[in-house]
Amino acid sequence: MGARRYLTAKVVQALFTLAFVLVFNFFLFRILPGNPAQILARQRRLPVEAVRELERDFGLKDPLPQQFVNYAGDTLRGNFGISFKFRRPVGEVIQGRIWPTVLLVGVATIGSTVIGLLIGIYGAWRRGSGFDMGSLGFSLVTYAMPEFWLGMILLILFASTSGLELFPLGNIRTPGGAASGIAHLLDVGMHLFLPALTLILALLGEYALIMRSSLLDVMGDDYIVTARAKGLREAQVLRRHAVPNALLPTVTLVALNLGFVVSGAITVETVFSWPGLGLLTVEALQAPDYPLLQGLFLLFSVAVIVANLIADLIYGYLDPRVRVA
Amino acid sequence: MRRWRSLVAAGAAAATIAGLTFGGAAAQTPSPSGSAAGKLTFTIGDDNDLDSMNPFVAVEAPAFQIFFLTYDFLVNLSQEDLSPSPGLAESWDQSDDGLTWTFQIRDDATWHDGEPVTAHDVEYTYNRIIEEEQGSFIDYISLIDTIEVPDEQTVVITTKEPTLQLLTALVFILPEHIWKDISTEEAGTFENNPPVGSGPFKVVEWEKGQFYRMESVPEYWGGAPRIDEFVYRIFNNEDALVQSLRAGEVDFADSLNANPFNSLKETTGITTHEANIPSFDEIGFNVGANDTIPDADGHPALLDVRVRQAMAHAIDKQVILDRVLQGYGTIGTTIVPPFSAAYHYEPTEEELFEFDLEEANRILDEAGYEDTDGDDVREMPDGGQPLMFRYFVRSENNSTVQTSQFVQDWFNQIGIATEVEALDDTTLTDAIFEGKYDMFHWGWFPDPDPDFILSIFTCGQRPPDGIWSDSFYCDEEYDRMYQEQKTVADVAERAQVIFEMQRQVYEDAPYIVLYYDANLQAYRSDRWTGFLTQPEPDGDLLSGYGNYTFVNLRPVTKAAAADEEEGGSAFTWVWVGLVAGPLLLVAVALLIRRRKGEEDRA
Repeated sequence: MGARRYLTAKVVQALFTLAFVLVFNFFLFRILPGNPAQILARQRRLPVEAVRELERDFGLKDPLPQQFVNYAGDTLRGNFGISFKFRRPVGEVIQGRIWPTVLLVGVATIGSTVIGLLIGIYGAWRRGSGFDMGSLGFSLVTYAMPEFWLGMILLILFASTSGLELFPLGNIRTPGGAASGIAHLLDVGMHLFLPALTLILALLGEYALIMRSSLLDVMGDDYIVTARAKGLREAQVLRRHAVPNALLPTVTLVALNLGFVVSGAITVETVFSWPGLGLLTVEALQAPDYPLLQGLFLLFSVAVIVANLIADLIYGYLDPRVRVA
Repeated sequence: MRRWRSLVAAGAAAATIAGLTFGGAAAQTPSPSGSAAGKLTFTIGDDNDLDSMNPFVAVEAPAFQIFFLTYDFLVNLSQEDLSPSPGLAESWDQSDDGLTWTFQIRDDATWHDGEPVTAHDVEYTYNRIIEEEQGSFIDYISLIDTIEVPDEQTVVITTKEPTLQLLTALVFILPEHIWKDISTEEAGTFENNPPVGSGPFKVVEWEKGQFYRMESVPEYWGGAPRIDEFVYRIFNNEDALVQSLRAGEVDFADSLNANPFNSLKETTGITTHEANIPSFDEIGFNVGANDTIPDADGHPALLDVRVRQAMAHAIDKQVILDRVLQGYGTIGTTIVPPFSAAYHYEPTEEELFEFDLEEANRILDEAGYEDTDGDDVREMPDGGQPLMFRYFVRSENNSTVQTSQFVQDWFNQIGIATEVEALDDTTLTDAIFEGKYDMFHWGWFPDPDPDFILSIFTCGQRPPDGIWSDSFYCDEEYDRMYQEQKTVADVAERAQVIFEMQRQVYEDAPYIVLYYDANLQAYRSDRWTGFLTQPEPDGDLLSGYGNYTFVNLRPVTKAAAADEEEGGSAFTWVWVGLVAGPLLLVAVALLIRRRKGEEDRA
């Protein structure tokens, strides 16, 4: 009963946020400077009549409320307009670029979470040891490094002629190489390695630090003493009692980050010419391609909202107290 | 603590040694960039993505690279000097009254799907562009009156006035049998993937945001290309592109910036080239937006040609070229770039506005602009408004920002104050359209034929009714000459008219053309030979307006390639530092951490 109410409340909350984003997104792109039709015309050398026609096509001459109704209706129907630059439906353009980002972000999230948590747990467990000191310094440093800078360093180290030349210098696969099968997977894997490593390094510091401090917190609690008093081995105390509780803040952080990581991969995608949503955003900004930007912003907002919702739900699952409250 | 410190030191030492070793190991013999086994692949790396493969929609350069290789023109621009040369039309004839043109279409051209190219395809393409007023192409053929096709290999075109327009029309001839099924509405979003053309290459793969791949067409009427494949790869990171060229992942790097270009200059096996392209940057003035836009607010002093001429005297273009462009490019004068050699006019010594601050001050003094309130800024002759101009530069283009620092300083010395503001292109476009600006820095990339760039100074182009004028320049005599040059059917005669137009714009100075910039290119000369610059001798290595290089390109012989050896790397030390840096940070972090730990314990 309590669980269902908790769930409903969270979902409704998320829907409200979504509605707000929808409205905000509309006005954000209406207050941006410049008449999109005019910009388009300048690039394409259109005569004035054609500009007027474009304005009609894009509905730029309608009164604002009318534009909003059209926009809301179209968005709900999944119609995000036609990209100025690519002259294809925005949904289609985004769809073509979403998988590289999902692949990169997915691998990076899993990698950084697993490694980060392990480092954090081991560091807290062996507090003050050489490992703890080293990993703490390492985490702080990688956490502080700008992603694009780290990416450049890795690129020079592992891919350039002045480095090891182990990996390709950009893109997601070799042009003209196999498009399917094992060879294709290997090829993509080689291209994925450096950008994923960059993101993993950039993310894991934060996870390790949070996990470490939250586990240290928990390990001072009375029930841990009780568990030890029961005669449990140290490893059992850690696995059964300390870690599950300490996981709470970390899981929330990972889930929240997931929402931002989709858009946050922009710099890494640029360094490695990785054809995902981050790069697409840069291209859309350069054009400027308002319908595409609008679609991307909506997607990023939705990603953050969904990530929040997931965090809430996981939290509720992991910690029954939250559901009741 | 000691233990850690020594470990860090050891790490740094190891990195240093590793750096030296790897730097040395990188010296290998080059291998071809071709990935697919046994195929001869030429790979270009560039920073620009493709927008569409539909010629009615695309505007980005990589798309045009595809079109130049996929399609043919009716009449080509020759590789040597851009003069008309046989394309799909193997010969042509102009009637004595200059109004009727007869083109003989070659009979050995076929579309990539095997259909023959006929006169009907030409007729269809031109008619469709005229009927639909296709923006990017209509200007090239606006004077066409009728098109007739007496037989499969002959097109007869009459024009409303005598003109040379048809010989310089950059209109890709499209296959009727494909496009007749695409309605006007569909044409706006038609993917056209892969495009069916009649050129020497056809697209076989397009991975959006990454690369496209084209295969050679051995049956091409102009001869089979010597390479099997051409790949265009997108690098969003210029350093990675340069590294790829060094590593041999790509064979050619296009549109480089000066710094990476310089870094490639001394590399063995790589040749660099400053390509002459039709491009210039200018400072433009608002010389009369009030004539067409009532609430425009340009500075009244800019309506006075003497003020603009004084400013032209106050800009040292050589300094801008050397300091901002690092010397790549040439000093700018008139609005038709030297690239269009037949039509470019270079001002005589008397006409030239030499850099001379005293002369500039003298002109302003004489014209009655004096500093009446002692603030080192001149006022209007009536003693009112000071000569304080809004000076817009482009936040998207750093050269314009750098240039403004020099210009502002020179203008200060002639008693003209400027308020520099960096705007994004959208905002700047808006300001110009509303006439709410005084001066700006922007640039153009005109066609080889000067018609378009000349048109932007005609009265009809002024906003709000026109679209291309960004100076609001308007002059009856100029307009008359513009119409005249369109209809003079003799190159030398037309050039005379165009010279006079350039002279006039130079003297009236609605624009101060700062420089003609260059396209910086670099390629693996240890692997490839056969580049044909268009035009000779210093044009684009990739033949900017044709497929010449791509048809002629071939690998250097193996014996020659074996002699080449890649140079050592200056990068080694750079990245040694980059590795040592973070390690040092770790050490510092540890030290701090350690000390804190000791305090806690104390």
